Amino acid sequence: MTRREWLAMIAAAPLLNAAVPEVPTAPVSIAKCASYDEDVQAKLATMFDQLGGLERLVRNKTVTVKLNMTGSPGQRFQGLAPAVTHYTHPKLVGATAYLVGKAGARRIRFVESSWATAGPLEDVMLDSGWNVRTLQSAASGVEFENTNALGKGKRYSRLKVPQNPYMYPAYDLNHSYEDTDVFVSMAKLKNHATCGVTLSLKNCFGTIPASIYGDTAGVDEPNEKPVNGRLAVGHEGRRQPSKSAPQELHFGANHDPGYRVPHIVADVVAARPIHLAIIDGVESIAGGEGPWVRGIRIVKPGVLIAGLNPVCTDAVSTAVMGYNPRAMRGTAPFQTCDNTLLLAEGHGVGTTDLKRIEVRGVSIEQALFRYDS
Amino acid sequence: MARHRIALGSGAPILGTYQGVWPGISALDDGGKKAGPTGSVWIDTNTGFIRAVRAWGDAALWVGNEPPAKTVVTGARYLQAIADAAISGGRWVVAFDSGFAARLHSREADALSDWRRMGALLRYFEQHPEWRGMQEYGKLAIVQDPANGGLLSGGILDMIAVKHTPVRPIPRQHLTLEALAGATMAVNVDPASLTPEQKEVLRSFARAGGELLTGPPGWKDPTPGKITLEKAELERLNDIWRDVNSMVGRRNLGVRLFNVSSMLSNLLISGDAKTAVLHLLNYSDYPVENVAVHFIGAYKHAVLTSPEGTEKPLEVYSTEDGGGVDIDKVSVCATIRLW
Repeated sequence: MTRREWLAMIAAAPLLNAAVPEVPTAPVSIAKCASYDEDVQAKLATMFDQLGGLERLVRNKTVTVKLNMTGSPGQRFQGLAPAVTHYTHPKLVGATAYLVGKAGARRIRFVESSWATAGPLEDVMLDSGWNVRTLQSAASGVEFENTNALGKGKRYSRLKVPQNPYMYPAYDLNHSYEDTDVFVSMAKLKNHATCGVTLSLKNCFGTIPASIYGDTAGVDEPNEKPVNGRLAVGHEGRRQPSKSAPQELHFGANHDPGYRVPHIVADVVAARPIHLAIIDGVESIAGGEGPWVRGIRIVKPGVLIAGLNPVCTDAVSTAVMGYNPRAMRGTAPFQTCDNTLLLAEGHGVGTTDLKRIEVRGVSIEQALFRYDS
Repeated sequence: MARHRIALGSGAPILGTYQGVWPGISALDDGGKKAGPTGSVWIDTNTGFIRAVRAWGDAALWVGNEPPAKTVVTGARYLQAIADAAISGGRWVVAFDSGFAARLHSREADALSDWRRMGALLRYFEQHPEWRGMQEYGKLAIVQDPANGGLLSGGILDMIAVKHTPVRPIPRQHLTLEALAGATMAVNVDPASLTPEQKEVLRSFARAGGELLTGPPGWKDPTPGKITLEKAELERLNDIWRDVNSMVGRRNLGVRLFNVSSMLSNLLISGDAKTAVLHLLNYSDYPVENVAVHFIGAYKHAVLTSPEGTEKPLEVYSTEDGGGVDIDKVSVCATIRLW
């Protein structure tokens, strides 16, 4: 099948839920970027211009950027720096800080729920080989916060799923996800062992704090020193989160991570809307989300993707990876899981219909990099 | 001789053992990297053993173990074996596997290149005898008995080292308040082995504000002659390790290192405390880039040296603990001098 034939096929695929055809759409920009040694900042600036400019989005605002730094920074694939395999790259982070600052943002807060620790995010960045001082000097008002626990906040923020939640009626998150005017999800273009793909939507699974939703979360109250991941609560439903937080709606009904995680992600992105999605597809891995997944391999798709709607951005990104963004469970890349994009679409977050998404810059066809080949 | 037969405290100028582990990142049977009990990549090392012996005095310590049989040993692994001993003040008796020896004998270019690098690395440490005269530094002390597991590899000392926390071993027999001077935390691995006087020293340490962690009773010395721990002892040490980890948290006990998961380090300080030296050793097959070092103390100057001939001044910047320096790249081994 040629690239053109493939695109025609996935664009013609039926919608999962015909009852939600009017979900929002927004343009998505794609740029070629063969390596991080290229002028990432200039390319990103062009992409933001193609999306209508950053200034109207961020001027005088607090901007929170959720990074993707999944897993321990010490766990590496073939000894490579995590930024060229499974973490968002610090050059992209720095370029974003600079451009957001230049566009007039009052505060730029980079956040991530670092694996198995509530320590400062700066420590994790340093352990990943990032130069924190350089990032800090990229713009004025740059801050960092590890959102795996209470962090610098005094209380957790309760963000409600607007309507018909799948898993939890609301999520208790670090204050950073509420104390912001603009929320950015900066993800890596990757497969995911549990969810098929992990892009700007799935990145937000990392907003839920291990202090409440982790394996070592307190039964009644959050454990402010979490030392593990979120398998028992999020992935497997073997236990409830701390009682201080809203409890799972149908606890015990389903223990399949391939069902649970996509549904939780769809809930979270409905509760905490994403204003800007940025996907780092310059260098990445295929076959899984991190070095702990067997069979992963290094890939160099050489693309950057950004958009103002996370579902649209992820739909385009999924297509760039060579998959149908509307594929159902059982079809690649969603062989053993539900499609997070469709679930988010079901919540009315955005459309997965490529025919309704305007792609600016490079076309999907030109950017296509098949992750399964 | 076997480790447990080494005449510690005898005043002998040279000590030696044929027992050592083969240094390097521990691999699983399927070729994956073994994560240790600390959650980090586990590094097999003789550094803990060498430091435990050198805590008894300044005798020159030689480790004469050979490369593992039926294993392809790269030139980098020989460099790691040499530096593994040297960063802790010991020396490894260079011993090649038969394959490398044959290639060197036939003067193959790669083997000769590796041989030259080994020579440069050996020279690097031998040209700095002052390093062997410096003291181990760290605000965490570990009290252990060499006769009761204190000379093992893979013990609590190595566990702490893998997490890059500076720690100095104090033999139970040398335990005094003076030996604990400068320490703010202490770990007593084997409480049952302490005399009443030694227990009183630790009580005094705690009364003076020191944090003391005492291991649970029931420590059993592994079979004499063994140099690594059996599963049951490892599990017991894991319990101690978790407590140590919790006690240390993210405090800077001399130096904090970042982006060093494949590395070990050793922090030394001069007798007048005006100069510190930090050795870094990379056990991976790849150079490590972008290492950050945060140290306590008011050092104003820093220089990076390496066996490759690097001598580069480093910018010292302020951190919450004191100062910091950044290092672009470490191939196998590098040293930072602070003053």
